[in-house]
Amino acid sequence: MEKAINNNIPTVRTILENHKDLKAMADEVRRVKLNVLDNLDYYIDQTVKSVEKTGGTAHVAKTKGDAIRIVTELVGKRNNIILSKSNVALEVGVREHLTSIGKDVWETDLGEYILQIAEDSPSHIVAPALHFTKEQVGQLLNRNLDRAINENSTHEQMVASVREFLLSKYLKAEVGITGVNAVAADTGSVALLENEGNIRMVTILPSIHIAITGIDKIVPSLKDAMLETMVQSGYGGLYPPSYINITSGPSSTADIEFKRVVPATGPREFHLILLDNGRTIANEDPELREALLCIKCGRCYFSCPVYRALGKDWVKPPYGGPTGAMWAAIIDRDTFPANLCTHSGGCKEVCPVGINIPRVLEHIKEMSLGGAPATRSSPIEDTKSN
Amino acid sequence: METKYDGSLNLRSFFCFSGGLVSLDSLRTMKQLTIIRKIILENLKKDFVPFPINKKLCTKWADGLNIPEKGETVLYTSYMYQLAGIFKSYEALLPKIGALGGIQSLGSLGKLLVRPDRKDMERAGKILAGISQMLKDSSLDVCYLYEDEPYSGALLLELGMIREFREYGNRLSKFFEARGISRIITVDPHTLNALTRLREMSVLKVELNSYLDVIDMRRTTGLNKTYVLHDSCLYARYLGRRAVIREKLSQAGIELKEDNIVTGHDTSMCCGAPVGAVNRELSEKIAQARSSALLKVSDSILVACPLCYQNLAAFADDVKDIMEVIV
Repeated sequence: MEKAINNNIPTVRTILENHKDLKAMADEVRRVKLNVLDNLDYYIDQTVKSVEKTGGTAHVAKTKGDAIRIVTELVGKRNNIILSKSNVALEVGVREHLTSIGKDVWETDLGEYILQIAEDSPSHIVAPALHFTKEQVGQLLNRNLDRAINENSTHEQMVASVREFLLSKYLKAEVGITGVNAVAADTGSVALLENEGNIRMVTILPSIHIAITGIDKIVPSLKDAMLETMVQSGYGGLYPPSYINITSGPSSTADIEFKRVVPATGPREFHLILLDNGRTIANEDPELREALLCIKCGRCYFSCPVYRALGKDWVKPPYGGPTGAMWAAIIDRDTFPANLCTHSGGCKEVCPVGINIPRVLEHIKEMSLGGAPATRSSPIEDTKSN
Repeated sequence: METKYDGSLNLRSFFCFSGGLVSLDSLRTMKQLTIIRKIILENLKKDFVPFPINKKLCTKWADGLNIPEKGETVLYTSYMYQLAGIFKSYEALLPKIGALGGIQSLGSLGKLLVRPDRKDMERAGKILAGISQMLKDSSLDVCYLYEDEPYSGALLLELGMIREFREYGNRLSKFFEARGISRIITVDPHTLNALTRLREMSVLKVELNSYLDVIDMRRTTGLNKTYVLHDSCLYARYLGRRAVIREKLSQAGIELKEDNIVTGHDTSMCCGAPVGAVNRELSEKIAQARSSALLKVSDSILVACPLCYQNLAAFADDVKDIMEVIV
């Protein structure tokens, strides 16, 4: 982890120094996300309608169980499924469930693929297999994929071996399941940020694309969605991103007499699953709702002494580090991780959207004493009247 | 029968024994937290201090200094320097307290008295006397409350007991008002942070300063050392004192060695002390990692907080409070 920290911190600093507009973008992302939280029901409704206008289908899942049921119904009898890295899919347990009912399911993000074959869980939100050394990855690939790869293989040889395997899975896949970096309420578009190129494959090659995300990922407009992905990329330390994908409904063409035909080359169906799972309740708590602004860039992890000491053992995945200590209270009502916070404050300093994480964790500590979170009064009406 | 603990812990030995492993038993931890929260609250209600302590011993440092008991500006120790070592000892006791059976045994816990380490107390006394002298040299007249001094309530805040912290803050505020105190000079970051929060909550009205804000520096000589400063998280990232401390040290002629990550504003790490009451193993693992990182920058470490001192000195030989080098 020390190597990763010593690589990532200077890299992000350099990115922010060289691209000063990222700070202004981050401020804007905070502003628009707060607006959504103030009007959450309105924006959920607008997103659903916008997705349907594009020819897609939106599903609102109140609980993890609802989300699993929706995914299971959409997958139906199809057997070959590919996933791109999705924290919400992990939160819900999509892969485990589909595997348990006999589907052939493969993670296509390299880090997630490593975790899949290792039967392990993520240690970082952006780089999930951070806790593995190159040598350990070589041994894993040797045992699970390619006897020609071992601990002495180069990084490039390992990546090439996985690439070859995954290409065969892409071509056979019937359903592609992705996460979402941001959802545009005005267009129903989903923005996806990546560097590997796997998300393009997952969103384009199978006939069904299912995007699963939390309602906290909704932003008012497509422009805002683009901003959020760029901010995530910059503050995550991978800027510029290799790819930003925008998906608005299933593939279509109007090349013959301007008659819109679905599908064209890409998927015939697009589904967006919007998961609540505690987010609405958190939004009613004026202090806990700050956590819903998190864009999951993972920068706070490396500024946290508890994460550096405990790694992925601190918080139950997928969300870890300081943000995970907040999110455990949202999605699992688990207040224990917050009680390990040392309030060192580095997380607050590096958070692109200005979340006062130690103050939120202090509030969660108070929640662990049994006090009910305060309830906001008519947030939608308040904002609309302004 | 009175239970006593000798107050001395060899943290290095403990760390080697535990191998740096951290037990994350949430049920045990939450049970322990329930107990410690109750103990602190009961003691604060009863005696204005979080644990049973020997107040006479804690005020001994002021003997012969002729600091008046009354005045508008108070030098406020909140027992932090005097009790930092005792906090560590109580952390060691907590699992034993938990094993006693929890809240049923709270009555007998009042008899628990941890004896402070003599050397720790002498060292704390020198630091506090030094601060007192520097305030005097800076033409600042202060009083000291001796055995009437109340604890700040910082532990309530840091354990998430916000409602209780506010209520205790109201008591503190009335106490200071009754004494005619309009300005408080703190000596450590936890107290300054707690009182700052009480001011934010509009509970406390008095003017607040750290001694670092108000002392005039004089140049020290003969140190011939380059130090690495371990920033107190509270001073550096909550209370805006990161530059103040560096400026004071510079005025005193103390040379600091900086590192982009180890001493960076947003990347310097905690000493682990704040989590000690919750999980001692985690606290020590963080302390060891922090000491190790600091020692890569310099063999000589400076701190500005008594709790940081306790945690880091367990894993590094040359750790000093800034008051030990600028006086």
